[in-house]
Amino acid sequence: MSLEKVVFGFFIVLAMTLNFGFFIGEIDNPMHHHVYELYAAIVVNLIATVLKFGDRTQIGAVHLATSLVAVLQLVAAAVVWVAFSGGVDASTTITRVVSLSGGALMANVISVILLLAETITLRR
Amino acid sequence: MNSILFLILRRMRAPLITVIVTYTIAVVGMTLMPGHDPAGNPWQMSLFEAFYVISYTATTIGFGEVPFPYSPEQRIWMTFSIYLTVIPWFYGIGKIIGLVQDPGLRQAFRTSGFAREVRNLQEPFYIICGYGETGSLLARALDGRGMRVVVVELLQDRINELELEDYEFDMPGLCADAKLPDTLLKAGVLHPMCGGVAALTDDDHANLAISVAVKLINPKLNVLARAENNDTAANMASFGTDHIINPYTLFGDHLAMEIHALGSYLLHEWLTGVPGDCLSSPACPPVGKWVVCGFGRFGKSVVENLQREGMSTIIVEAEPEMTHCPKGTIIGSGTDAKTLYEAGIEGAVGIVAGTDNDINNLSIVMTAREINPNLFVVIRKNKRFNEPLFQQFNADITMDPSDIIAHECLAHMISPLLAHFLVLARNQSNAWANQLISRLVETVGESVPETWAISIDHHEAPAVANLLSWGLPVSLDALMRDPANREEKLWLVPLLLNRGDQHILLPEVTSALLPGDRILFCGRESAKAYQSLLLSNHKTLTYVINGREIAEGMVWRWLVEKFGKAKADPDKA
Repeated sequence: MSLEKVVFGFFIVLAMTLNFGFFIGEIDNPMHHHVYELYAAIVVNLIATVLKFGDRTQIGAVHLATSLVAVLQLVAAAVVWVAFSGGVDASTTITRVVSLSGGALMANVISVILLLAETITLRR
Repeated sequence: MNSILFLILRRMRAPLITVIVTYTIAVVGMTLMPGHDPAGNPWQMSLFEAFYVISYTATTIGFGEVPFPYSPEQRIWMTFSIYLTVIPWFYGIGKIIGLVQDPGLRQAFRTSGFAREVRNLQEPFYIICGYGETGSLLARALDGRGMRVVVVELLQDRINELELEDYEFDMPGLCADAKLPDTLLKAGVLHPMCGGVAALTDDDHANLAISVAVKLINPKLNVLARAENNDTAANMASFGTDHIINPYTLFGDHLAMEIHALGSYLLHEWLTGVPGDCLSSPACPPVGKWVVCGFGRFGKSVVENLQREGMSTIIVEAEPEMTHCPKGTIIGSGTDAKTLYEAGIEGAVGIVAGTDNDINNLSIVMTAREINPNLFVVIRKNKRFNEPLFQQFNADITMDPSDIIAHECLAHMISPLLAHFLVLARNQSNAWANQLISRLVETVGESVPETWAISIDHHEAPAVANLLSWGLPVSLDALMRDPANREEKLWLVPLLLNRGDQHILLPEVTSALLPGDRILFCGRESAKAYQSLLLSNHKTLTYVINGREIAEGMVWRWLVEKFGKAKADPDKA
């Protein structure tokens, strides 16, 4: 067991779980989606992305790509939230934000699948 | 480039994560601190506002308290945030700057930049390994002839010199060991446009290693290597090195040529010089008794060639056993008058100062000239930085190994035809060479001319190839006229015509060209430029051949074909 693998796995799984936690709930109900959860998801995704830097293997490249997609979608969600809050009705805004985070969730799920695949094929 | 990016990313992990974590803490804390808006209502910062505030605080830009003045709680957190975020921010920035200045990374950047430059070369180029005296001379000459050069050199100082040098073309240079195959690959040994490799370092073993590596990686390449030892030369030959250049043997050859065929020698010097340089006036070595000081590799070659030309030689050598001197050798360095008297300097016609020490050489010839002012002086120059001393002395012939090697390399690099021409010219009589020289002087003047080769094919001479494929005859004369006015001759001389295995020296201007012919020309730079017009544009070529202009449009061309026959003779012809 290496500490590096623990930290790596921890952040990737946490990125997915936080993302899922924010995503779950009625899509147009602002009560079900907390802004701090989105914030935490963004931060953890950023850390996961940085942790994936510098791996030159094929699977490492795909890992990095999925994380970049997730970060892009989550940041887009945050921008939408900031840009539209106080404007039109809250349920429209939250619908847009949550659907964007749903896309990020897909990327995070792929990232976790890659992590599992990597672990399973590992023969050490 | 890819690997460098990954290297940077990997080293940036720790600073980036530190920045992310500290930002997160500062932003969240900021939103939790209670505050008041101007109306006195309780107010807390949103995440976005907090991120905005922390961003300008961490980067030390500092816009002040926005959107409203802060409460004491918010100010406490702000103070804490400043120390929390600013320090990691500087740590991250410092890390990036340190990374950029890392010598390993800079070398990696330079190497990858070099490899990219070489990859992007679109023209034929030569690789020169070793940018010393010889290498720089050759690079300058090739550059002057409009050929691209890639340089690999072991010493960074010389690469810096190369970068400061004022060349026509950009010359990629890499500081690396050319003995390593990886370096050669980066320098473009497998590049489709690579024309050849010149191994010109001052280390015979390195030159051997380079030529072996190049021949193994890409056997098609032309390899020129400098070798001063016969063993190395033999080893190079066994690996198929195309041209092995031994400066001492070459100088001996040249000296012999100067004695018995001055014309051929001049022709050789002239055609392999740097275009635009002035011609040096030739010296004609006298016949009689020669004193040769120093019987090293240089001395041996000189003695051998002088004896072949029927001169008697007296050898002066400090260490006769080590250099296997023949009988009758005078022992001594030759720098003192006594030894020179012993060698019979008063009755000699010439002296060769051929030791490997420049100061000794100068001392020998100065002493000798004092005794016998009419001596013909041949002196060997070893180090280029002593050039001013040699210029001051003004010997009849100064032997400069770098110069000789560079000339020889040029002869092979400019065109295989030129090397062939020089071999053929060497077998001609001196009178023939003198005649050619006077013809060249008449056409191109007193400076070193351009030398170039063309092939009659669709690639290099599409116009000629087209006319030939339409069944129209093209004579050599057509390529020698001014495209602007066909009455005027271009300032050039055809030197050699190659057709299959046949080589025709100084072909007649009336000779008809055939597809696949290769012709070596020599002439002024402008002539070369004008000739390329003739080679590429069949309308210009037709005009030069028969004085007729081909009509531009299809309709007009049809009209000319239909009705032009009657008035076939154009007023221009």
